[in-house]
Amino acid sequence: MIDFLTSFSPAFVLIVAGIIAALTPVYQGRKVLMVGVPALVLVLINTMYLKGGDHGVLGALGGYFSVAGIELTTIRIDRLSIIWGNIFAFAGILNGIFGLHEKCKITDSSALIYTGAGIGAVFAGDLITLFMFWELLALSSVIIVWRGGKDSYPAGMRYLAMHILSGVLLLAGAVIYGRATGSYAFDHIGIDAPGGKLILLAFGIKAGFPLLHNWIQDSYPKSSVTGTVILSVFTTKLAIYALARGFAGTEILIYIGGVMTVFPVFFAVLENDLRKVLSYSLNNQLGFMVAGIGIGSSLALNGVAAHVVVDILFKGLLFMSMGAVLHRVGTVKASELGGLFRTMPLTTLFCLIGAGSISAFPMMGGFISKSMIIAAVFEEHHYVVFGMLLFASAGVLEHSGIKVPYFAFFSHDSGKRPKEAPWNMLVAMGIAAFLCLYLAFPWGGAFMGYKGLYAMLPYAMEGEAAFHPYTADHVVFQMQLLMGAMFAFTLLKRFGLYPPERRAQILDFDWTYRRLGLSILKWIDAMWTRLGAQTKYLLKLLFGRVGKRLYQVFSPAGTLSQDAPSGIAAVFTAGMLAAILLGVYYF
Amino acid sequence: MAKKPNKSQNSMSKAELKERAEAHPLAVPFLWLGHEKTIKNFIFVPMIGLVLFSILGFFFPLHHPADWDFFASYTLIGFAAYSFVVLSAWPLFKLLSRDEDYYGEDHDD
Repeated sequence: MIDFLTSFSPAFVLIVAGIIAALTPVYQGRKVLMVGVPALVLVLINTMYLKGGDHGVLGALGGYFSVAGIELTTIRIDRLSIIWGNIFAFAGILNGIFGLHEKCKITDSSALIYTGAGIGAVFAGDLITLFMFWELLALSSVIIVWRGGKDSYPAGMRYLAMHILSGVLLLAGAVIYGRATGSYAFDHIGIDAPGGKLILLAFGIKAGFPLLHNWIQDSYPKSSVTGTVILSVFTTKLAIYALARGFAGTEILIYIGGVMTVFPVFFAVLENDLRKVLSYSLNNQLGFMVAGIGIGSSLALNGVAAHVVVDILFKGLLFMSMGAVLHRVGTVKASELGGLFRTMPLTTLFCLIGAGSISAFPMMGGFISKSMIIAAVFEEHHYVVFGMLLFASAGVLEHSGIKVPYFAFFSHDSGKRPKEAPWNMLVAMGIAAFLCLYLAFPWGGAFMGYKGLYAMLPYAMEGEAAFHPYTADHVVFQMQLLMGAMFAFTLLKRFGLYPPERRAQILDFDWTYRRLGLSILKWIDAMWTRLGAQTKYLLKLLFGRVGKRLYQVFSPAGTLSQDAPSGIAAVFTAGMLAAILLGVYYF
Repeated sequence: MAKKPNKSQNSMSKAELKERAEAHPLAVPFLWLGHEKTIKNFIFVPMIGLVLFSILGFFFPLHHPADWDFFASYTLIGFAAYSFVVLSAWPLFKLLSRDEDYYGEDHDD
């Protein structure tokens, strides 16, 4: 049985489970699939990996298909893809637990297919397989966006447009690359390869590159309680995998990553919707990963892989805690919340652990992984980007470390007394919180604490990639950064300089197409309508006059038919004959 | 059956008793976190931390410092960066904020 299940991509197990879930009317049955199938896939992935590939190297290559003469490889499990595969499958289990209360067949089915598409894309050995799962990812996830209610429909349409565009760019780039090189294998591509720029742009859309990022903040906060948690895991992290696989060491990514870490900080501080704040925060964390990929050293790529793991955990945890608040209170607007720690203490605790992890407090997840990336940037002497990452680290503390937990659970007492989150949400948050702490635990043997995280990484953490997070200077200076920022918060609060939370729409780059672009299109439409009406009038006038003249000349009552003009007709005919005679004579 | 108030509860105000009654049992020992006095005095926690870690920075300097680093450089970076981000929110809000239904799509709460 296990041999049969390991003969094709584990993604298909999830996709088939998703189809079965869509046909299963009993909600308990669907929930078993939601939790059980990702767990089965986790086992399958590791069984395949441990069985080993050629020459005793751990990994798997297989699941071959031939389509139109192109050989597709649907299974390529190696040191890099196994990390993404494992964390995606694990996140699938957590999402399943978090959504146990939800009785929505479409969400359950789409979530399974979406998880499958994510895992399928990660294990794709060629660009065509990647493209197919890339598109399936877009289609299955947009359904999850649309489950957020009628307000999510336009956002879902924009989301779909961006992701279809990304897919088209990927396919175009893949075809150019395949024709030029004679291979569709998905390995290192590089920006200078034929079609490389198109593929990079395709990955950049999904990774939320600056100016291509708005689909994240537009759609994620509009999805359902469970939907946002599911969405936060796969799409963007898949793009990070694709960049790490295809564009590691591409210098421009260092600067793109630097910009990605900085600009969301300014938007997050303005936002009132705490799920939107977290969406900007997601963009900011992706920036760290993109910068690390740009560096491309063993330490940087290890840092990226480690950060993907802990980011999925702590960002998922933060989205889950806000999901629990939305579920119980009905809103996540900071201006409407406050004081919820009184009745939601466990959710508060889990949110604080997520906030501490993303802020990179020692003993918490981000402290290990983010520091690896920052150290790698420093080692390669990119001091400007290094400064940007430090600045962004203080910014992260602002929006995710302080703003989200403070305005939801502390701040002023909003008078709201909701019940604690449902048990299933608490279990999912509890597991994520435990792992945020466990993966940064400094003591123990080879697979304990952060050493367990190190054991998963693509390169051995020694030599060039060696990194010791718990040195006195690292702990002290990281705490200096955090304490300096926290003191600034308390000081600004004390003197009334911290801006109040207000309900508003904050304009971002999407204004260019949601407002400016739409206005231009409306103007063109109006002009076209006007022009059409005007042209119609002019043509009518023209044809009317010509018709009238012709009628005046040729109709039975016209000039040529009158008695008197028979002379005129004779003159006209004589003139014609003269013209013909002259023509014949001279030519 | 309602719980009998204990001795310390007798000295509580009506508002405090109400808050206690409404709170989750696990939150009761932490209700002081929401008190005005706690909020007002919280500033001392990061202040002490800031001073402490700045002094420690003198004894445990960075192994690989940048040219601009000194014993409390990250304290300064954290403080300055955070303040800049928060203070920039005032002009940015004026510049970028619009009515909540600016795009005509938001109809929630």
